[in-house]
Amino acid sequence: MESGLNSQTDVLRAEAVASLPARSPGSLLRPIFREETFFLILSVFIGVLSGLAVVCFRFAIDWCRIYLVGSGATPSTMRLLLAPSLAGLVIAVLVIHVFPGARGSGVNQTKAALYIYNGYIPLRTAIGKFITAALAIGSGHSLGPEDPSLQIGASLASALGRWMRLSRDRMRLIAPVGAAAGLAAAFNAPISAVLFVIEEVIGRWTAGILGSVVLSAVSSVVVMRWFMGSESLFRIPAVHLERPSELIAYSILGVAGGLASVAFSSGIEKIRPRCKALPRWTQYFQPALAGLLIGLIAVLGAPQVMGAGYEYIDEAMHGQFTWQMLAVLAGLKIIATLLSFVSGTPGGMFAPTLFIGAMLGAAVGGAEHAALPHLSGSPGTYALVGMGVLFAGFLRAPMTSVFMVLEVSGNYSIILPVIVANTLAYVISRGLQPAAIFDVLTRQDGLDLPSMEEQREEGILRVEDAMRPMVDPVLEGDDALASVLSQADKSSTDNLLVRLSPTGWSSVSKEELRRMAAEGKGELSLNSLFTTRQIAYLHPDHSLDTALRYVDRWPLVPVVSRADFRKLEGVISQQDVLRRYRDFGEG
Amino acid sequence: MVTERSPGGTLAASENEPDRGRYAGRKPASLALLLVLAVVFFIAVSGLSRLYHAQQEALGNRWFARGVADLKAQRFDRAVSEFRTALLYSRDNYSYQLNLAQALIGAKRTNEADAYLINLWEREPENGLVNLELARSAAQKGQTDQALRYYHNAIYATWPGDQEVERRDARLELIEFLLSINAKTQAESELIALAANLDDDPAQHAHAGDLFLRAQDYEHALAEYRLSLKSESHTPAVLAGAGWAAFELGRYPLAERYLQAAVSADPSDALSAARLKTAELVLQMDPFRRQITVAERHQIVIEAFTTAGQRLRECPAAGNSNGTVLPASGQQSLGEKWETMKQQLNGQGLRRNPDLVEAAMELVFSIERQTSIVCGAPTGTDMALLLIAKLHEGN
Repeated sequence: MESGLNSQTDVLRAEAVASLPARSPGSLLRPIFREETFFLILSVFIGVLSGLAVVCFRFAIDWCRIYLVGSGATPSTMRLLLAPSLAGLVIAVLVIHVFPGARGSGVNQTKAALYIYNGYIPLRTAIGKFITAALAIGSGHSLGPEDPSLQIGASLASALGRWMRLSRDRMRLIAPVGAAAGLAAAFNAPISAVLFVIEEVIGRWTAGILGSVVLSAVSSVVVMRWFMGSESLFRIPAVHLERPSELIAYSILGVAGGLASVAFSSGIEKIRPRCKALPRWTQYFQPALAGLLIGLIAVLGAPQVMGAGYEYIDEAMHGQFTWQMLAVLAGLKIIATLLSFVSGTPGGMFAPTLFIGAMLGAAVGGAEHAALPHLSGSPGTYALVGMGVLFAGFLRAPMTSVFMVLEVSGNYSIILPVIVANTLAYVISRGLQPAAIFDVLTRQDGLDLPSMEEQREEGILRVEDAMRPMVDPVLEGDDALASVLSQADKSSTDNLLVRLSPTGWSSVSKEELRRMAAEGKGELSLNSLFTTRQIAYLHPDHSLDTALRYVDRWPLVPVVSRADFRKLEGVISQQDVLRRYRDFGEG
Repeated sequence: MVTERSPGGTLAASENEPDRGRYAGRKPASLALLLVLAVVFFIAVSGLSRLYHAQQEALGNRWFARGVADLKAQRFDRAVSEFRTALLYSRDNYSYQLNLAQALIGAKRTNEADAYLINLWEREPENGLVNLELARSAAQKGQTDQALRYYHNAIYATWPGDQEVERRDARLELIEFLLSINAKTQAESELIALAANLDDDPAQHAHAGDLFLRAQDYEHALAEYRLSLKSESHTPAVLAGAGWAAFELGRYPLAERYLQAAVSADPSDALSAARLKTAELVLQMDPFRRQITVAERHQIVIEAFTTAGQRLRECPAAGNSNGTVLPASGQQSLGEKWETMKQQLNGQGLRRNPDLVEAAMELVFSIERQTSIVCGAPTGTDMALLLIAKLHEGN
């Protein structure tokens, strides 16, 4: 009997198990492969692949340099003249006929992918950028590998996203994730890369994208260090600030850096459209001519301006040039970079910016030392601060500029000079040249991408700008329906707010109150009637965008204090919001 | 120009959210494929990386070898350029940086050299060669304290190969530096420490003797020369040095012996020959030396007195003084004293008054000292008389 019961139970159990849906491996992995988690895992792969691509890019640049310019530090005159000009010809043909998307630095292209093309960057652009930029930088054009690396990373990420068939939202975000990976690997500085992408490409901080950007940047740097070692781009000398009064000396550097930034960006702003406006056939020769002129500068005694020039930044940091020579190099590098960039040669602006900043910084520091020998800052300190100054003034990335110097130097004690000098440079540059260089380039290309700088400066409309005081009486939740009818009758508007106890708000029309009274609910308290009909409330500091989501649902939304949710600061309606937006637009 | 317009692929991806079930089922396979792709790419880049690094190393070594050759040939500017090129291929290479610093020092670009050396010193503060180069650089710039600090670091630092030899050489260099800045006392104490650690090598002892001689520590100099001569007794320079040390110590018989040996070993050594002549004169003209007859002594005194008179005539300004630091007024001048004594100073007078020998020689010494002050260092017999005066000072 007992065994019969057991067997019956077993059968029932078996039937129950059989009736459950079969659990496939896919369903088991479903929680792990939710899109958010999947995107994070994908970010790591993007970082690894971008890191590998940037490593190859570095190899390609060095091989181009060795085979085109020569392995020595002082190449022959013939090579100095021929290598950049002949490479310029090849680059022009490739850019015009094979890789039209490879032109320029790469930052704006990545922004365009984010804002216009739903994260789409053709893989061909990455290949084109890789080849043409390696040729350009390796042959001595005054450009850097960072922005191309950024674009290569973004392009790889975009290709992976397409392959994975990510949703449109994710596709839009994937290009910046790849961009951060590419830049981090090129710079060997993950924090700066993340900050730059957030500050200049995405323009906003959101937890969803931040995690992916950080993961990709870190994994690409790990790959980079695996193959290229963990040494930073420059040997950092001892950095110290003995007397706070020396900040004045760094302020002078900030002013000089601001002016140099304006000169540099004005040059690009004025000359680039003229070069683009020249007949199409000249575009075949513009990079070659730029290369020839850069070669000429090198032959005339400044070979340091060729290529990215990191080794010379290193030398400047260690006091291996006189301050006069440093000033000359800063000026010549501005000219050389202008020539390369406006001619449409693919390559980045980061390295030249750092070069100019380092030379200018060390020159200003050297001149100040000559005048005031007691100053404690070494040329290396001034060069480091100078790099940040140009970054803030020319690229207009103030946050990145500060963290870049800290990350590269690994020395926190430099922070005060960096902040002081960078802020001055940024303010001067912004005052004399309202549009940032990336925005200028975008508009010259006929696009209208959102300007991150303008977004940062843009005033946000808040609820407090549109709300109005509540002139009509507010009904208390503890009162009985019958007792508030007379109050309601005195009200000038049809809708009334009800303050519920212990907390919460509701709204009711006069007509509804009367109907409820007629239904015999006059003795009931408003709390009991409206607790289930609570409405949303806002705070004065909420943005009007937030308010818009609520004001169409209720005719009147209460605006309450953050300290006391029962304390009414005012009310806001859809009309109030629209009126405020209209006034703002007209203003 | 930004990017091309998106083709249909993107729109397909973006138009619809992928079906959840299909999405989740496809992802593991996609990730697995991605992993394979990453591994393949990684392996390919590893291969490229090996090629790249091998080439970089080869180029670095090639330029380094050229730099070393130019450094040896003292073509410092070329060496600097070559070491810099080598560093392009191996930026943190210790040896490349050190050689570049040496080339920069050779090219008198000490500030640039210091940048590299300080960097190296921060990496390995106990490295002997780096400390020594920093000391040399500081010495070139006249930063004595810094130079001394780095020299001392170098002496107690770690050296590749034979540490004792390297440390001794570093100390020798420090001594040379101290002597060059006339810090003889410090040089002497370093020399004493050096001498305590010398091997039996006669050359080392000879070198130490030379340095002691320059530090004016003649006693130690003579001792080192003697140690050297124990093994190699015919080295002319060592014999000359020993002769000079003995000469300076006033040990003229010994000086005469060494100098005679030095001159016979190297007849072209004019300095030793001159010193030998002076030593011989001192020995001949000293009336207080033993084992001479009274007559000989008297004869020497008379000759010395005549020599002094001659010197006084050649230096009349000295003749007007009284031979002391006191004013001449109220006392006889040296010239008057000499004239007065001249009447008595002959063989008969000396035999009658034996004390006259002492008095006459006292006057001779006063004249020689005074004339050397007023008219400059004497030569020949006057020099010998002055040295005899020094020899018997305080007796």
